[in-house]
Amino acid sequence: MKNLQFPAGEMRKTVLKMAFSGSTVHIGCAFSIIELLCVLHRSYLSYPNNDPNAYERDYLLLSKGHGVMAQYAVMHHRGWLNDEDISNYFSDGSTLKGLSDSRIPGLEITSGSLGHGVPIGVGISHALKRRGLNQKVYILTGDGELNEGTNWEGFMFAAHHRLDNLMVIVDQNSFQAMGSTADILDLGNIKNKFESFGFDSVSVDGHNENEISQAIHNLWSLSSRRPKALIASTIKGKGVPFMEADNTWHYRRLDEETLGSAMSYL
Amino acid sequence: MRTAFSKTIVGLATKNPDIVLMTGDHGYSLFDEFRRLFPEQFINAGIAEQNMVGMAAGLARLGYRPFVYGLSAFIPVKAVEQIKIDIAQDNLPVVLFGDGAGFVYSHLGTSHQSNEDVACTRSLPSMTVLSPCDSVEMAATIEYAYNLRSPVYLRMGKADLGDVHIKPVLLDKCGGLLELRRGRSSAPGLIATGSMVMAALEIGNLLNLNVWSAPIIKPLSKESVLEAASYSSSLVTIEEHSVYGGLGSAVSEIISEFKPTRLLRLGVPDKFSLKCGSYSYLLKEHGLDVSSLINKITEFSST
Repeated sequence: MKNLQFPAGEMRKTVLKMAFSGSTVHIGCAFSIIELLCVLHRSYLSYPNNDPNAYERDYLLLSKGHGVMAQYAVMHHRGWLNDEDISNYFSDGSTLKGLSDSRIPGLEITSGSLGHGVPIGVGISHALKRRGLNQKVYILTGDGELNEGTNWEGFMFAAHHRLDNLMVIVDQNSFQAMGSTADILDLGNIKNKFESFGFDSVSVDGHNENEISQAIHNLWSLSSRRPKALIASTIKGKGVPFMEADNTWHYRRLDEETLGSAMSYL
Repeated sequence: MRTAFSKTIVGLATKNPDIVLMTGDHGYSLFDEFRRLFPEQFINAGIAEQNMVGMAAGLARLGYRPFVYGLSAFIPVKAVEQIKIDIAQDNLPVVLFGDGAGFVYSHLGTSHQSNEDVACTRSLPSMTVLSPCDSVEMAATIEYAYNLRSPVYLRMGKADLGDVHIKPVLLDKCGGLLELRRGRSSAPGLIATGSMVMAALEIGNLLNLNVWSAPIIKPLSKESVLEAASYSSSLVTIEEHSVYGGLGSAVSEIISEFKPTRLLRLGVPDKFSLKCGSYSYLLKEHGLDVSSLINKITEFSST
């Protein structure tokens, strides 16, 4: 198998192609998690024989289903999706949806209704422990998504049962659908919240791949038996200047002109 | 009935160490035997039902067989979305037990009374819905649920009414209905489920009517319902559940399409309990006590 590099710029281009061909929304949600996914896929997630269903695989649960185009981009890079999947996005009878669907190999869970990734991931982590298996579980959640109470139910269970094979990664892009998280339901200091729920946690620049990679390594190296949290500070729409931190790109669609303009930055 | 529940899950756990019993901090003494024998297979997930159901999906993906227990007001009702998205869509082998269904918690009010649980689960693709009436059906439905290897909601209602069946029942080929007595073909036939089967049998004995128990509400086979219809002048369903979305709806969906038959759906009318009182008091408030049922059946059959 070829050595996969997961270049962030290429991933963003794939997202733009999909968003244009499907005339879809949620571009900003996908762009904020590109570097996080690139680092995970390049350096941490193990898929023996590049098989998304391998029994021995690590688990990545995209709880913020709205970022699914970023995951499609890395799946395409891995060869799990072909070019037609990208160019036919949202065409009648196609399989890839606008939110994560567990029936697509590589997506693991159905999400989009928020707050589902943590409970399922906690169950998988607990099951791996019971089986004596060493795989890791990563749950990628949004900061807005932390409004959902199921996350905090799951965090309590994870800490109480010492699920140190579990890492929650928060895409802290500081926006949710209708505005900033600070204005809608202020989360305060997310890192402190995780600490108080019994997690080891680290904050990073979510677009600095070296920093992300080092932080994940450091978290797994801790000898505590606490679950882990990586709080990644990100920019919604990162990579295309006119989309960055402009929450209208949660809902806006590309036309020929904005597509060309966006591509020129990548 | 609760002894049968405990005995059956203990029996299954003895055979399969992958059975994991999960509870949202309910079922205090119900699990004594299970916890004594299989402490590692028991998880009290805390008062967090939605997380518990999501976790059950995670455990099932790794080959475990979760038995998720809660009060029916919470499992399934509080966690319907988790059941739909996390469990049903992936057809995972999770058995959900909803205890205290109907008016069991008669003194506690709306939060603990549950008459919408069957309607909620019956509309989810891939779900099987079971509703045992006594200890015999309890043991049989749990075994049936375990062997299905797909999502099941098992409704546990009033548990101390005594046994209806005197010998073991076979569910595999019953199509949903078990015949309890044969009465007059010129009169309404009664199809009841769960806690209402005993009352139906009492009424059937008094008025000499056909009576069936319905331990399987979904899937309910067309054949079994049409056969019941063909033996009776009309049909009456009786359930301690809303008249919308439960057994009565399931029966009417079949007969209206294949064998138009007059049907009286007796169940909880479209209202919440107003008063506090004993279980039998609340049955009366909702018209589900035996004498109210007889009056309604008699009136129905005379019109």
